[in-house]
Amino acid sequence: MGLPKRITGRVWKLGDHINTDILHPSPYFSLDEARVKEGLYEGMERLGTNAKRDSSDEGVIIVAGENFGCGSSRETSVRGLRSFGVRGVVAASFARIFFRSLTNLGLPALECRDIQGRVKGGDSVLLSLEEGWVELTDKRRFPFSPIDTHIKKILEAGGLIPYLHKERGRERDGI
Amino acid sequence: MLEGYTGKIIRKHSDGIREGEYHAVLVDFVLLPDPTFALLLPELKDLGGRIWNKEGVFVTVDHFAPPSTIERANIAKTVISFAKDEALPHQSIYQGICHQLLIEGPWLRPGMLVLGADSHTTTAGALGCLATGMGSTDILYTLVTGRTWLRPPNTVRINLKGKLPPYIMGKDVILDLLARFGEGGFRYQALEFYDDDGVLSMDDRLAICNMVVEGGAKNGLFSPDQVTKNYLKERDGHLDQWENFSHEDFRYTQKLTTDLSSLKPKVALPHSPAHVVSIEEIKGEGIEQVFIGSCTGGRLRDIELTARILNKRKIAPGIRLLITPASQKIYQEAMEKGYLKIILEAGGVVLNPSCGLCGGIDKGILGSAERCLSTSNRNFQGRMGDPSSRIYLSSPLTAAASALAGRITDPREVM
Repeated sequence: MGLPKRITGRVWKLGDHINTDILHPSPYFSLDEARVKEGLYEGMERLGTNAKRDSSDEGVIIVAGENFGCGSSRETSVRGLRSFGVRGVVAASFARIFFRSLTNLGLPALECRDIQGRVKGGDSVLLSLEEGWVELTDKRRFPFSPIDTHIKKILEAGGLIPYLHKERGRERDGI
Repeated sequence: MLEGYTGKIIRKHSDGIREGEYHAVLVDFVLLPDPTFALLLPELKDLGGRIWNKEGVFVTVDHFAPPSTIERANIAKTVISFAKDEALPHQSIYQGICHQLLIEGPWLRPGMLVLGADSHTTTAGALGCLATGMGSTDILYTLVTGRTWLRPPNTVRINLKGKLPPYIMGKDVILDLLARFGEGGFRYQALEFYDDDGVLSMDDRLAICNMVVEGGAKNGLFSPDQVTKNYLKERDGHLDQWENFSHEDFRYTQKLTTDLSSLKPKVALPHSPAHVVSIEEIKGEGIEQVFIGSCTGGRLRDIELTARILNKRKIAPGIRLLITPASQKIYQEAMEKGYLKIILEAGGVVLNPSCGLCGGIDKGILGSAERCLSTSNRNFQGRMGDPSSRIYLSSPLTAAASALAGRITDPREVM
């Protein structure tokens, strides 16, 4: 599958210490994708973002502050983001379970402290995973922290389960 | 760099492979509560449905226990059916909250590496394990391979010193740390507690390790000591041997001290577990509901101290006091010791063990602008009900005192 070189999308902007309970309220926990998506929309409404119910075909980049995704491990929050067409997440820092879950579902989680104050909801941004920067509407570029080799391999595979299939393939081939 | 007791556990469990900053490690035990296990079941079946070691997993139905909607009944049903079809040896339906059952069972010993599909899996660190929570996809990977990838954390040693005042509980100790370092103040770190004088009970230690995740920590553990040994001996009827390295002089990124004798009862204000003040700053605040329970504050000692406060008294008119013991075993012990009788006579309501109230899943849901003082771990906006409701967090002693007065109250005033 490979890592996309460049990712574009419209910004949904969030603050510091956004927890998964508000991102995806627990009454929306479900195995039904439409219900999970509805939960994320409810969370975005509570957080006062510019999210639209039908923004999925456009591509979304989340820009958040410190400790993004703290709290519960319920992966429905990340699955909800994915069903809304979120293609990447840039935050000043991530809570560890949430960072892992984004990576595991194939969504790049990138650390950058410089852009949260420089973007607003709805801005178009461009991410270069290859060169390690995020470009804002005014064409200014800001570097994000280098992606770890292991994390890069998971993202290149398209997530942890495709990565597992690759690992198994290597074992089968005796590599 | 592998630091602390946590680093030692990672080294002992390494299978020799490293990629970037991550070490592949072998996992000893996996906790699988109903909703997050249900989320990975379709993919587990796609992968062949085989769990690497059936003896090394424990399935619990505790979130939807019993289910309150058709959808939840169907989610719980998929878990129950899978556990039955696979004849998983360790499973529980409605017997308690997974984190309590995990440490009540005969499985965990110091030095083990434990994962759970729930963020409060850190609780088991009180037994000297490296225990941490992960999302469903991570857990799926472990169920199939028996391994996971860990980035070794920086470790912080926390020395607990001084005499424990009778009005201070483990909950106050962790709320104090969250106040000092903030939500996310321990992001990606391991907290290692040393209670050299053995003043904190196992129930207090479990409450502390339960909430290290609210500071962002990967795990929290107590260096195994006599309290640990006594607990395991009582639990198992004998003391299994384990490789003891608690005497080793580990490297730490940071060393901190908490002087227990100077602590005051603490309360976390809405909407963050780290938004903490001392009781003096918030006492008198009105509340409509008090909740004593959950995987943080529903253990026997919590219920015992609640009963001591409520003995021969009545809760304030208009206040709702809800109690959920963390497990059926605790429920029964609290009944046999007469604690529940005292609570019922005081006007409290005792619910069955489940995650329902703390997680806003069922029972005790808060209406608009209602305020609840809770012994649970999270007071995030809307967690227990309406988005305009407000949750305060405290120890069971403070919660019980507040139920008597009908407003947030310093437990020293009623002890």
